[in-house]
Amino acid sequence: MTIVWDDPVNLMSYVTYVFIKIFGFSQERAHELMMQVHVEGRAVVASGTREEMERNVQLLHEHGLWATLQRDDKI
Amino acid sequence: MSTFARDGEHFSLELTVDEAHVLINLVEQLLELLGEGDFNHHYDDGDPFAQIMMQMKAAPDEIVVPDDPVLLRLLPNAYSDPEAAADFRRYTEPTLRGKKKRALEQVRLALETIVDQNRAGTVRDVESQTWLLAINDLRIALSVRLGITPESFEVFEALDDEDPQKGIYAVYFWLGWLQESLLNLLNNG
Repeated sequence: MTIVWDDPVNLMSYVTYVFIKIFGFSQERAHELMMQVHVEGRAVVASGTREEMERNVQLLHEHGLWATLQRDDKI
Repeated sequence: MSTFARDGEHFSLELTVDEAHVLINLVEQLLELLGEGDFNHHYDDGDPFAQIMMQMKAAPDEIVVPDDPVLLRLLPNAYSDPEAAADFRRYTEPTLRGKKKRALEQVRLALETIVDQNRAGTVRDVESQTWLLAINDLRIALSVRLGITPESFEVFEALDDEDPQKGIYAVYFWLGWLQESLLNLLNNG
């Protein structure tokens, strides 16, 4: 799974924008996940194959979001 | 404080000469930190921005976890397991680093005309995604050097006006405005 972690720098509007751009989420879904990151400190934004998750993390890092991936059974 | 504006079908950014200088200096310092030194930089090595940005400047030959906290935040570990993180870094970091450098380099080129003419000017036909990424990386870099926390606004506001950290925080704050203005234009396009 792909996890995005909270940081005190990235603007809330930017994180929402990036979620829509990378994952094609609706505005509502992107906003909900952004708030989860902000309030809970992290959110699982995607799950799937390792290759897909690695691609997600690369894209998130390109956009300056702090993201990691881990196996689904480890959380 | 200048912000992005709509300009017909495109976006533009009108900058004072001081703003253009501040931006190009930061862009060049971050490019150098990322290992791109192949240009004549515009900043003076003695300026507080350069000093804060260049606290550690190293471009290791091997692809390893960066020592510099700015680089570690811009090029983070993808896995908590060090071995998996190292593997991932070996095959993805050059691409990630290259993309960040390309965005910064494009912004640098857009600013260079204004800076070299040494007067206020306008960046036209702004490549919004490139600027969005570059501004975000500059904010991240400054935030690491400034030690930004959710309480920073009050902390830096309380500093003496002569404190260079306060000036750098003002730039960090402005970059946030700049980014927000671009996001507003993109979301209402």
